Amino acid sequence: MAGEAVKSLRISQVGLRGVVGGGLTAAHVLDFASAFGTFLEPGKAVIIGRDPRASGIMIREGVVAGLLACGRNVIDLGIAPTPVIQHTIRRMDAAGGISIGASHNAAEWNALKFFGRNAIYLSTAEANELLDIYHLKKFSFCEWNEIGKLHKEANALDPYLDELAAVFDFNALRQLRVVVDCCSGTSALILRRMNERFGFSFILINEKMQGVAFAHEPATNKDMVGLQLAPLMQPLGADAGFLFDADSDRVAFATEDGTPVSEEMVLPLLADYQLPRGEGKLIITNVSSTALVDEIAVRHGGEVVRVAVGRQAAIDALSIYRPEQIALAGEGTGAIMMPQFRFVYDGIVSMLAVLSMMRERGRKLSGIIGAYPKYSILKGQVPLVTHRMPALLAALRETYADGRASVVDGLRVDWPDRWFHVRVSQTEPVVRIISERRGEAPRELHDAVIEQVRSFA
Amino acid sequence: MPPREHLLKIGVAGIRGVVGEFLTPSLACSFAQAFGTYVGGGRVVVGRDTRASGEMLMHAVACGLLAAGCEVVDTGILPTPTIQMYVAATRAQGGIAVTASHNPPEYNALKLFNAQGLFFNTYERAELLDLYHQSDFRQAPNEEMRRVITDYESAPKLHFRKVLAHVDAERIRKRKFRVALDAVNGAGAVTTPGFLRDILNCDLEAISVDPTKPFPREAEPRPEVLGEIAELVRRCHRDIGFAQDPDGDRLAVIDETGLVLDNDDVLALAVDAALRRLPGDVVVNLTTSSAIDDVAAAHGRRVYRTPVGEANVVETMQAVNAVIGGEGSNGGIIFPAVHLCRDSYTGMAFMLDRMAETGEKISTLAGRLPKYFRRYGKVAFQHGRLGPLMQSLEARFPAAQNDRSDGLKLLLPEGWIHVRASNTEPLLRVAAEAKSEEQVEKLYGEVLTLFG
Repeated sequence: MAGEAVKSLRISQVGLRGVVGGGLTAAHVLDFASAFGTFLEPGKAVIIGRDPRASGIMIREGVVAGLLACGRNVIDLGIAPTPVIQHTIRRMDAAGGISIGASHNAAEWNALKFFGRNAIYLSTAEANELLDIYHLKKFSFCEWNEIGKLHKEANALDPYLDELAAVFDFNALRQLRVVVDCCSGTSALILRRMNERFGFSFILINEKMQGVAFAHEPATNKDMVGLQLAPLMQPLGADAGFLFDADSDRVAFATEDGTPVSEEMVLPLLADYQLPRGEGKLIITNVSSTALVDEIAVRHGGEVVRVAVGRQAAIDALSIYRPEQIALAGEGTGAIMMPQFRFVYDGIVSMLAVLSMMRERGRKLSGIIGAYPKYSILKGQVPLVTHRMPALLAALRETYADGRASVVDGLRVDWPDRWFHVRVSQTEPVVRIISERRGEAPRELHDAVIEQVRSFA
Repeated sequence: MPPREHLLKIGVAGIRGVVGEFLTPSLACSFAQAFGTYVGGGRVVVGRDTRASGEMLMHAVACGLLAAGCEVVDTGILPTPTIQMYVAATRAQGGIAVTASHNPPEYNALKLFNAQGLFFNTYERAELLDLYHQSDFRQAPNEEMRRVITDYESAPKLHFRKVLAHVDAERIRKRKFRVALDAVNGAGAVTTPGFLRDILNCDLEAISVDPTKPFPREAEPRPEVLGEIAELVRRCHRDIGFAQDPDGDRLAVIDETGLVLDNDDVLALAVDAALRRLPGDVVVNLTTSSAIDDVAAAHGRRVYRTPVGEANVVETMQAVNAVIGGEGSNGGIIFPAVHLCRDSYTGMAFMLDRMAETGEKISTLAGRLPKYFRRYGKVAFQHGRLGPLMQSLEARFPAAQNDRSDGLKLLLPEGWIHVRASNTEPLLRVAAEAKSEEQVEKLYGEVLTLFG
C-alpha cells in the first residue's frame, strides 16, 4: 500500500480532509458542497466559516458555489473559530453548516467539517447518506431562478460570547493572569474580543493569523505546549497558559510553574470540574484515553462510557443518551464537549472551565493537577499491514488472555492497574499502540505488545 | 428524429448551457481551473452579467482559478467589453466573463480572454479544450494560494475614457441629446445610465436598469422585442433610443420615429464614422449587408469577409489591421482603436457623435445609406444532407460567384444568398439580400423551394 498516497486525501464519515493540491482538489470541494446542499432539509440557510489557511479562500469559493447551486442561501462568517460557526448555526436556526479548516493538522492540509441541525456533527447514518450522495454525484441543482444568495455576517463573535458570559463568571475569571499561544489561529479573534469587551487581560503569543507559515505545528499536545508557551509562564507571572489549535476546538495547557501538561489531562480535569455540577453522570470518551478519568468518575459517582476512537463514535454515543444524563464527552486530544454548550468541541469553553475551577477551589493549577494520582502513559506506532490485522488482534488476545478484553475498536486489554490498546489509525497507515499504568510507566508490557505487533508487519 | 436541444455545449467557444442540471458549478470550476492552468497562474480578472446564476458561477470560477494558483480580481457586474479592456489595461494573465450574452436567462456561459483582453484565438481555444479534457490541471499547494481582490470601480472609467478619445465628447454634451435606453436589466444597467447621463450629458429616459431584476424581454435586442423602448422614444420625443443585450456587447438603435434600425445599417453608420476618423480597411462576416462595401468604397477602402462568428471577424481584423469591423445581423460593432471586441458603448458614442457633427436626425443619416432588402430564415436539415443541398443550390445558379469559406455564399448580379449550418443547432441558416423587395423575395423563395 502506497503510504504517501493514502496520507494525502481522506473522504469518510468525518468529511473531506487532505493536502490541498496534492490530494484535496477544487473538484472534491465542489462535489462535497453540492452533496451537502442536496442532503440538507430544504429551506433554511447554511452557515460557513474558515480557519486562516491560505487555501481556505479557494475552498470557500467552491463551497459557496455548490451550496448556491442547490438553492441554499449561504451566510459566510469569514475567518471564524469552529465553535463560533456552530453557535451561529443554532442562533440563526440554520439548516446546518460547514467549517473549512484542518484544525490541528499542518498548514498544507485543509478539510470540510459538516454540521447538521442544532450544529451537531453529522451522525454516522447521516454521514453515510452524505457520502452516498457524494459518490453517486446526483445533486439536486435547482432551476436558474431559484439559486441561493450569499450573505456575510460580520459579528458572530459577540452573540457567542454572550452565551459564554451567561454560564461563566467573567468578573471572577478576568482577575486571572493567563497566557495563550494562539498558534496563528482563530482563537486570537475570540480572546482579543474578550479583552476588549469584557476587560480580560489575556496575554497572546502567536496571535497574528497566518495562512501559510503557522508559528508551529497547531497540534494541542505536551510537546507543543513546551515549545513556546510553558517557558513564558514564570517570567510573565501567569496563573495558567493555554494552547489552541487553528480552529479553536482543542486545547492544551501549562501550569503556573511552567510545566507543560499532557493533553491527556484535559479530560480528567474537566470531568472533575463538571461531574459535581449537574445531574449528568456519564462521561463519554474513547478506549484510548487515560484511566485517570475512571478514577475521578468513581470519586463523583460518575460512570465512563468508552467508545471507538474518533469523533464519529462519540457523536453517535451522545445521541443514545438523554442530554441531562451526560456530564462530558471528549478525547485524550484536548477536544471536549459539555452539555451547557450543547455538545460542541470548544477549546475556549474548556479553558474557561479550567479557569473557573482554579477560582472556585482557590488553588494553583499545578496544585490541582498534582493532587491527582499519577498515571503514566506510553504511545507507539508500527507500520500497518492491513490484511494481517485480524490475525494480529487474535494473537494479542490470546497472549493476554488473563486481562479483560474489549473489541470496541481494535483490541484493548485491561488489568486492575494497567491497560493497553492496539488499533488502526484513522488518519495514517499505522497501527497505534498505547499503554498506561497507575504509577510508573508499563514499559515491559508496552515493549512486548509493540514487538508482537511488529512481528505482523 | 426530433430536433435536439443543446442544453450544454463544451467546445472551442468555451462552455455554455442551461444552469442547473446541465451547466453545473463543478463544470464551471473545472473549466476555470483548466483556464488557470493554461494561462500559467498570475492574475485573472472575473466579471459577470446580471443573470441569477452569475454569482454562483462566479464563485465556482474563482474556486477553479485559485486552485490553479491564480490571483482572482472580481470586478462584479460589468459589460463584457469593459471586462476585456480591464484585462488588457491591468496586465492580467487573462479574464473570464460569466455571461451567456444574448441567450435566454436560464443559460449561462464562460467567455474566455487572453492577456490582451481578446477572445482566445482558434489555436488557444483548441489547446485549452485539450487541457480541460485531459483534466491535468495545476493544483496549487497551500503556500501558493492567492487571494480574491475586488475592484468594481476602475473598469468602467477606463472603458469610457477609451471610447471618448474617438469622438468629440464636448460637441455631444452641448447638444444635450434626448436619449432613451433599454438595458434589459443587464450589465448595462450598472454602467450605461452614467455613461449617457453623466458623461455625455444626455437627457435620459431609461427602462430596465435594475440589475437585481430578471430580463424583462428577450435578451437578444431584435427589433420584434423592442416595442417598449420604441414606444418610449415616440412618447417622450427622444432623438434616439439604444437597447443593449445583457452583457453590453450588442447594440440596437431606435430612430426618433420609434423605428428600430436594421443592425446592418447601424454597422454601416459606424463604419462611416470610423473611416471618417481613421484610415484603414473593414472586416465583416459573409452574412453582413453589401451596404458596408458601398460605404467603404466611398472612402476608398476595402472590405474583407469572414465566416460568421465574432472570433473569426476579430482574427481577420488583426491580420489585416482593420480600422473597424463587425457582424451586421448580430448588432456588433468592433472598433479596435478602443478595443478589439464588440462594444455597444463605442456604437452609442459613434451615433451621437455623427448626429452632433452633422446636426441631422438619426433617421436622416440612416436614410442616406445605400438601400438593400434582406431576408433571414432557418431550415431544419439532417446531418449528411448539407453537401447535396449546397450542390443543388450551386446548380440552380450556375452564373454565381461562390464563396465556400462558411457554408455557401452565392454572389449574383442582383444580390446574394448565404446558406450555412448553425454551430449550435441542427439548422441551416439562410440569408439573402438584393436591391429590391421583389428580388430578395425571389432569391429567398428559390432557396426554400430547393430545400423543400
